Amino acid sequence: MSNSPIIAENLVRHFGDVHAVKGINLEVKAGEVFGFLGPNGAGKSTAVRMLTTLLRPTSGTARVAGFDVVKQADQVRRSIGVALQDAAIDPLMTGAELLALQAVLYGIPASVLKKRSDELLERVGLTAAASRRVSTYSGGMRRRLDLALSLIHQPTVLFLDEPTTGLDPMSRLTLWEEVRRLNREGTTVMLTTQYLEEADQLADRIAIIDHGKIVREGKPADLKASVGAPTLIIKTNIDQTEKAKSVLSTFGDLRPGAEGALGVGLIGGAALVTEVVRKLDEAGVHVAHLEINEPSLDDVFAEATGYRLEGADNAPSAGDNGDNGDEKPKKKSRRGRK
Amino acid sequence: MTSTTAVMPETQVVRSLSTAIRQTIALARRSTLELFRQPALVVPSLIFPLFFSFLGNSTFGKTTSLPGFPQVNSYLQFQLAGTITQGVLFGSVTGAAALATDIENGFFDRLLASPTSRTSILFGRLAGSTLFGALETAIFILVLLPFGADVAAGVPGIIAMTISGALIALAVGALMASVALKTGSSEAVQGTFPLLFILLFFSSAFFPRETMSGIYRTIAGLNPISHLVEGLRALSLEGFTASATARAILVPLAIAIFALLVAQTQLRARLRAN
Repeated sequence: MSNSPIIAENLVRHFGDVHAVKGINLEVKAGEVFGFLGPNGAGKSTAVRMLTTLLRPTSGTARVAGFDVVKQADQVRRSIGVALQDAAIDPLMTGAELLALQAVLYGIPASVLKKRSDELLERVGLTAAASRRVSTYSGGMRRRLDLALSLIHQPTVLFLDEPTTGLDPMSRLTLWEEVRRLNREGTTVMLTTQYLEEADQLADRIAIIDHGKIVREGKPADLKASVGAPTLIIKTNIDQTEKAKSVLSTFGDLRPGAEGALGVGLIGGAALVTEVVRKLDEAGVHVAHLEINEPSLDDVFAEATGYRLEGADNAPSAGDNGDNGDEKPKKKSRRGRK
Repeated sequence: MTSTTAVMPETQVVRSLSTAIRQTIALARRSTLELFRQPALVVPSLIFPLFFSFLGNSTFGKTTSLPGFPQVNSYLQFQLAGTITQGVLFGSVTGAAALATDIENGFFDRLLASPTSRTSILFGRLAGSTLFGALETAIFILVLLPFGADVAAGVPGIIAMTISGALIALAVGALMASVALKTGSSEAVQGTFPLLFILLFFSSAFFPRETMSGIYRTIAGLNPISHLVEGLRALSLEGFTASATARAILVPLAIAIFALLVAQTQLRARLRAN
């Protein structure tokens, strides 16, 4: 049996008629940062909740830190750190009080509590705010406190469920740096995210999940290389879409574009852009916008799922809680998300 | 070897129990701190029962001479038990609503993702309400005492009433916690407030059952709140007798045990649903 810290085999979770997770297999190796990428409703959080013992799988098995998540749930809980999506932190308590509470819950002796608590507060930059109530913290400070709480018992496996959702860019960078530091120190990290850049920046390997299934898995560089050709994106008048598609398809496979744009994988490379523009012009297609993109994780996502994560509606849907796992995210524009 | 294997489980049991107690105390501390850091929730459950008490004293003061009314120094002496029960009932709703809020905002999940004993999660929350119940009882007695709410049982009676108030808080808190665990909704818990108010008015909290008649008297007789109030009232009016103390302690204790079993069942059901 493999001794990888996270192993899932045919993990399934149904909520009544809704199939939120439809049989996922994954293996996260020791010392990896593993990114679980997908839009809201894809099944990421449901999968993480099963791996962290908060949900029982409908079928399938999973072992975390060497323990079965159902039969040895208590041992799993002692071995892992968990920072859940909503950073559920009691606003009436101070940071220091919450760390002390968490320490007792994990059976940490009072003799080491003060030292460890001080170290963690310093690590996440909250020493000065330790005696303030959490209600006075910013979103970024809450996330950092959440991270500190999840580390109080020095876990070897850390689950971070959408750790930077809703954070400003600076807070996001701070948290990324902390995740990298933890990983350098040997912590295995499983990170769910809906942000392509986050997965690209942090993860050694990623799995793309869509409608409860893992549709791609691998190193970000390998996945991007697998898409091959760069993508040419154009925008044109809606009544010229079919004509434009017909021209573009002569240069390569059509790819989905965000916000009504058209995309094509240029098999002959970026050098063909002038040729494409000339052909479009000859066909009478007015090009309002044109850009060429090297393969990205979004291209990987689009190729695997048929729609783009950047253009998908990532507004919260019940699917991540299992209520809407089968519903396709709407292809609605959401600018400036990343 | 045999002795080692025989000793190990016992050591583990003791260790688990000691950990569970530490966890319960830590969670009880949290729920108490949380309560006292929200004066807007605490103050009304102290002010309104006192207000009703003084209002009742001025409105119903002369009813003490009605046939069937027990021998009292003042209406306040009779009313003291009702005031305590009223305050404790409302205070317990606040504690259970906080448990529902934990479920709603994900703090409950944080606890479930940790190796915290599941019983500690429930008992930690209830311990805060219980302590608040004891404190409320002591405050009501101390505030009303100078205005004529004498406690015939004296200091031992006041101590017994405080314990009784704590047990009532535990009993009601556990029942309300069951609602919180069943629904996971703080609105649903708060929604029980009018029901408790109705139950309180259909009890012997404000008048003795002996002065009631017809269906009202039947309902008051069946109403568990009447029996909680009357246990406390026995200490207040009869003195520190074995019978009064037993009624004041054993009735809420029995209801608390029943309520804790219901709450544990609801907790298990919620965990199974995951």
